[in-house]
Amino acid sequence: MAEQKPRDLSRAQPREKWGTKLGIIMAVAGSAVGLGNFLRFPVQAAQNGGGAFMIPYFISFLLLGIPLMWIEWAIGRYGGLFGHGSAPFIFDKLWKNRALKYLGVIGIFGPVVIFIYYTYIESWLLGYAFFAITGKLLAFTTPSAMKNFLLAYQGLAPGSNLWTAYIFFLITFAVNIWILYRGIKGGIEWLCNWAMPVLFTFGIIVMIRVLTLGAPNPQIPDWNILNGLGFLWNPDFSVLANSKVWLAAAGQIFFTLSVGIGCILTYASYLSHGDDVVLSGLSAASTNEFAEVILGGSIVIPAAFAFLGPIGATQAAQSGAFNLGFVTMPLIFGRIPLGEVFALLWFALLFLAGITSSVSLAEPAIAFVRDEFKLDRKKSVLIFAVATFLLCQPAIFFLGHGVVDELDFWGGTFALVLFATIETILFVWVFGMDKAWEEMHRGAELNIPRFYRFIMKYITPAFLLFILGFWFIQQALPTLMMKGVSAENLPFILATRIGLVLLFLAIAILVRIAYYRRKE
Amino acid sequence: MNLWGWLFMLSSWGLILGLTVFCFYRVLIEPAEEL
Repeated sequence: MAEQKPRDLSRAQPREKWGTKLGIIMAVAGSAVGLGNFLRFPVQAAQNGGGAFMIPYFISFLLLGIPLMWIEWAIGRYGGLFGHGSAPFIFDKLWKNRALKYLGVIGIFGPVVIFIYYTYIESWLLGYAFFAITGKLLAFTTPSAMKNFLLAYQGLAPGSNLWTAYIFFLITFAVNIWILYRGIKGGIEWLCNWAMPVLFTFGIIVMIRVLTLGAPNPQIPDWNILNGLGFLWNPDFSVLANSKVWLAAAGQIFFTLSVGIGCILTYASYLSHGDDVVLSGLSAASTNEFAEVILGGSIVIPAAFAFLGPIGATQAAQSGAFNLGFVTMPLIFGRIPLGEVFALLWFALLFLAGITSSVSLAEPAIAFVRDEFKLDRKKSVLIFAVATFLLCQPAIFFLGHGVVDELDFWGGTFALVLFATIETILFVWVFGMDKAWEEMHRGAELNIPRFYRFIMKYITPAFLLFILGFWFIQQALPTLMMKGVSAENLPFILATRIGLVLLFLAIAILVRIAYYRRKE
Repeated sequence: MNLWGWLFMLSSWGLILGLTVFCFYRVLIEPAEEL
């Protein structure tokens, strides 16, 4: 393989850079900390053995999460050296192969697909924060009333309309675009530098309030916070023999760290070649774990247990992460003094977690347009805004027909695992472990333990291939065959799939045009 | 919460807090660096 020299650097236009090291750590942590930290993790832990879940969880963190984090940071910084911030062209620099850049399209396609439904869900959080201030949210006292309110907000209840939700979507979308328009240092870094400390402050306040609830109903003293923590943390060691629990832990680590999407790749491309990636990557990962295990593990499930008891908490956990966040938590806040304030803090922290993630999802596509078509940031952001605004509409108007679930599966699950597998094999096997190791350690402020060479070369790819294979059999095949899809939703699911194929092809064609223009 | 629950919760918290403090100590000990 001919070695790629950074000689194209002289031809590359000056790229934006991060302002400070703490700024990029906050930005990557902001990308990773999302709704899943506060809603998905506690449900996964409670349903998969409680404290015992933490054994496969931490093993996955060490064998899958941290190596992938370092690999993505290093690949991204390497691509930035050549003036590239998106996967197709970064991959092309790692290995000259005609087909490879088209596999890199997944690194733009995946984040765009997630962005088009994630911003809509993010806007619900803004709407709910507003309803918490007005007191409207806490007026509902039963799960069915709260659920009906959510359905009416989404325009899914009979006689309801989407206008309120649409106004909050427009505000959320506009704020996202405004931040992206301001650039890396003045927009994304500026946002994450204040939003992350505010998010953690709100999280700690809500956590303290939950942990000091005691036994809210004196008639049933067993329904208390200590038993609620026990509900989540008491280990059931028998689950460790179940492969699904190990897979659930690996999946949780994978999704929570935002690896395999393409966002970290793009963020790291705005580093200079001598900047550290090892300590920075580890710092971003540990910040995410703080939000997930310490804050996420201490709010939703213990509170649900204290107010609803063991059966109610089990039902709440089984009802899914969205129900926990949008139905169970507002009901709980309605039963405590100053509930409006805590509900506001809760939805505001989730909104901040959402927006720091959604801006990162937009950046790979913007970097692609900007770097490869030599457009300035403002034009690139405007093109992105118009395209994604149009693409968001089916997710909003056909939510009840399974469009968002379909987008989430292909963009938020399948593309992630596939992309992570490709980039890992490409970096450690094709680019080569020796060069990869050298690349990761360039400017490093921390030495990676040597046994990680073995982990990155054998364990992480094997782990990823296992997850990919398992998901393909367990989820992709039934999803591909549209098992369980009602006849009414079938045309919507088919149309979504055709739309996704067209989107992928459109990005691939743009990559091809950019590639040959660049060659000329 | 039983003893095992406490053990798992506190050791998980300890691991994560330890890692976070270590990382941010190393990051912040350096003067704010312009990249």
